[in-house]
Amino acid sequence: MDEKVKVADRGKTLEDLKQTDADLRLPSVVEPAHFPIETLAPEARQQTPAVGQRATRPDGRLHGLGQTKYIDDITFPNMLHAKIKRAGIAAALIKSIDTSEAEKMPGVMAVLTGNEIPVNSFGPSYQDQPVLAYERVFHAGDGVAAVAALTEQIAVEALDKIKVEYEPIEAVFDPMLAMQEDAPKVHPPHDNVYATKAIKKGDVEKGFAEADKIFEGRFSTQMIEHVPLEPHASIAEWDGNGRVTLWSSLGRITLGRADISRTLNMPINKIRIVGTVVGGNFGGKNEITTEPVLALLSKKTGRPVKMIYSREEEFIASTTRHPFIMDYKTGVMNDGRIVARKVRLVLDGGAYCSWSETTLGKACILSAGPYNIDNLHVEAFCTYTNKTMAGAMRGFGAPQVCFAYESHMDDIAHDLGIDPLEIRMLNAFEEGSLSPTGQVLQSVVVKESLQTAAERFGWKEFSK
Amino acid sequence: MVMRAFDLVSAETADQAVALLAEHGSEAMILAGGTDMLVDLKHDKHRPAVVVDISRAGDLKGIEITDEGLRIGALVTHTEIMKSPIVQENFPAMVHAAHTIGAVQTRNLGTLGGNLVTCVPSMDSGPTLMALDAEVAVAGPDGRRRMTLDEFFVGPRKTTLKENELLVDILIPKKNVGKPVDFLKFGLRKGQALALVNAASSFWVDWDKNAFVEPRISLGAVAPTVIRVPEAEAYLDGREITPDATAEAARLAVEAAKPISDFRASAEYRRDLIAVLTRRTLENAYDLAKAKR
Amino acid sequence: MTDVSMTVNGEERTASVPPETTLLTVLRENFFLTGSKLGCDVGDCGACTVLVDGIPVNACLMLAGQAEGRDIVTIEGLANQDGMHPLQQAFENLASLQCGFCGPGVIISAKALLEENPDPSVDDIRDALSGNLCRCTGYTKMIEAVQDAARIMRGESADEAA
Repeated sequence: MDEKVKVADRGKTLEDLKQTDADLRLPSVVEPAHFPIETLAPEARQQTPAVGQRATRPDGRLHGLGQTKYIDDITFPNMLHAKIKRAGIAAALIKSIDTSEAEKMPGVMAVLTGNEIPVNSFGPSYQDQPVLAYERVFHAGDGVAAVAALTEQIAVEALDKIKVEYEPIEAVFDPMLAMQEDAPKVHPPHDNVYATKAIKKGDVEKGFAEADKIFEGRFSTQMIEHVPLEPHASIAEWDGNGRVTLWSSLGRITLGRADISRTLNMPINKIRIVGTVVGGNFGGKNEITTEPVLALLSKKTGRPVKMIYSREEEFIASTTRHPFIMDYKTGVMNDGRIVARKVRLVLDGGAYCSWSETTLGKACILSAGPYNIDNLHVEAFCTYTNKTMAGAMRGFGAPQVCFAYESHMDDIAHDLGIDPLEIRMLNAFEEGSLSPTGQVLQSVVVKESLQTAAERFGWKEFSK
Repeated sequence: MVMRAFDLVSAETADQAVALLAEHGSEAMILAGGTDMLVDLKHDKHRPAVVVDISRAGDLKGIEITDEGLRIGALVTHTEIMKSPIVQENFPAMVHAAHTIGAVQTRNLGTLGGNLVTCVPSMDSGPTLMALDAEVAVAGPDGRRRMTLDEFFVGPRKTTLKENELLVDILIPKKNVGKPVDFLKFGLRKGQALALVNAASSFWVDWDKNAFVEPRISLGAVAPTVIRVPEAEAYLDGREITPDATAEAARLAVEAAKPISDFRASAEYRRDLIAVLTRRTLENAYDLAKAKR
Repeated sequence: MTDVSMTVNGEERTASVPPETTLLTVLRENFFLTGSKLGCDVGDCGACTVLVDGIPVNACLMLAGQAEGRDIVTIEGLANQDGMHPLQQAFENLASLQCGFCGPGVIISAKALLEENPDPSVDDIRDALSGNLCRCTGYTKMIEAVQDAARIMRGESADEAA
């Protein structure tokens, strides 16, 4: 590429831009002894013309130098450390919470319970999740009280002194049981099934009647935690002007502001969120967690308050990937052509809705796979159980159904004695195919991708 | 999670550590590599008032051949075992076993003694040592006592070590130095995985009869502790080395084991693994014997 | 309180900390070397990896008192006024880190490997990094970066197309 090419409208050459970038990229951080002053000029980040240029990550250098500041690397004068007491019981009514012993401890600056939160509920779709459980516990990872103390150790010891009296109630853990009429309700008076979706295309019964063979299979997937290497973390500082600033590992800060504004019952313009570099999100940091708690602890104490999830909390008190139970029934002709498919998905949403609705929608649309099926009926249900909530995680339900329809496909191919690649080539989408919801698909390369992949990993030789 | 408060005292020798244990009684706990102990403290499983750090006790270190056999100090790390020329020469299986523990960082900290004292059923150092009739020496206020690993292991995370005692070293008896032994582990990934099943087999060969002599088979993660399989050993002793014999020993090993189903694997899957690993360790040990002949 | 003194990145550092303080906490909170991260706190993830007397260990699994008198190298000790460590340069060039949280630990583990083995195979690198978890799926580019850095450190030129 001609390096001297003029960049549109600015009269600058690429060289100029490189120089500007290099000038700006001189490191300027707190510990001057620990990084190079004279940098080896990096490949400038070429904003434009960019096509065909090799790019590096603009944040890569600081990551490698250990200079990137994640939440836990930030500290403020007078900062307090918060910890949350977890219920440890899946379903219970809370009879009483006694924080008096904890409050008396030297070094404990404030204790917070759910009744002190102006609007004690949040959630991206339904506001069904308490910030801190107060009357009822919905799953074992629910927070029931929070402590802000001079050190993390004092905060942990204070949690021991908070006495919570529970009246255990019947819990439900199996999504299939939770769907039954007489199942214990996780959020009474509401039904456990809180979201449904259906897709109908053609006449599935007619399709089954015409099919040479019918295959049925049940597939299930497990709950998966995102395990970002950086646990959820935030710092809150409530200032004298009645504004709160939150440094947070939250991935969706605008949505977070709205949720925090709602829970704190204060105007959104009083809430500022500083989104720091996030140490791994994968969908698990798409909604608020402790931010309102920290804001209120900061308000109570007049000091900044930090909280980092422990790895255990990351597993029990953050969202996870939905476990699915997937029933597939497929009618095929002897040559392998799929003529009808019925799919029933049951999503185990855990204790709260979180991003279940989005997951449900995507899972439904994708559940038939990238295959032309004229007669299709998909029905899907999302149900509460007294478990850690499931929410957004990469793919929003797509990986689960993919596991099911491709396993099902292999079963069918095996039974019909057709090569697994061939049965996919026979049924796969083409340019202009209709998706299950009627979308005309463009730029479809399923068959080409399959062919290329098969050639590259030597499918023919392997399958001999 | 942050640890609760405790006092830290350091022992420079085993005797000092025993004296410190005597002084602080049940309030005290020993800290060596810390890869299990500090994790337990972070999870608030114990609340010792005093932690006795023995990581600088020189007499608990070292790998050497003595009149009694191969002595390995309790503080020897898994990395040190892997790098020891003595171990490499005599027991490649021990090098392999050490290599399957944790990952580089934890192998650099974690000690052989700690692995044995923590006594989880899936410990990777246990089967090879047990197949070599290794003994441990324990120091207490009344002096030292020796026992075999059979006697030392009691149950999951439970040994015969008393509150005021310290594991000092591990001894592979002289007669077994150089005895062909093989260790295999099956975990779900190569690094940082606990064994679903691990196994070690050792025996001498009577070359005139091509027969097993003093066979030992040891299994991990299939019972409350690492176990030996006397039924299979008795079956093999003096028997000609044939594929049928190893297959039968593997079957007897499956019968003797009591694997459980947990989130890592089902009991059924573990039983399959026992058969395969037992057979393969016997075959590999035989290959080793032939190579050494 | 326990008084500890140790060499950190070539400098004598001292601190007075509660006995239950880990090496990681001293480094981060007393010496303000926040490059080493707390990821799992139990020695599984390797984000806290530092060199103690030249060998990589989990700083979360060592008490500050156990590090008394020892020589510690953290990620902050790799670059100097003249430039970055070849590993840091290679990790930047090849964009081997995404969120970056595992990066300091990975680079420290790789440094320990290259000091012992200047020409490691891919399997050697995998083994050396097996105690460092990355969740953004970056191992392939990390391995390439370690190979590149190894070539540079051996005085060969890095093959960027690797």
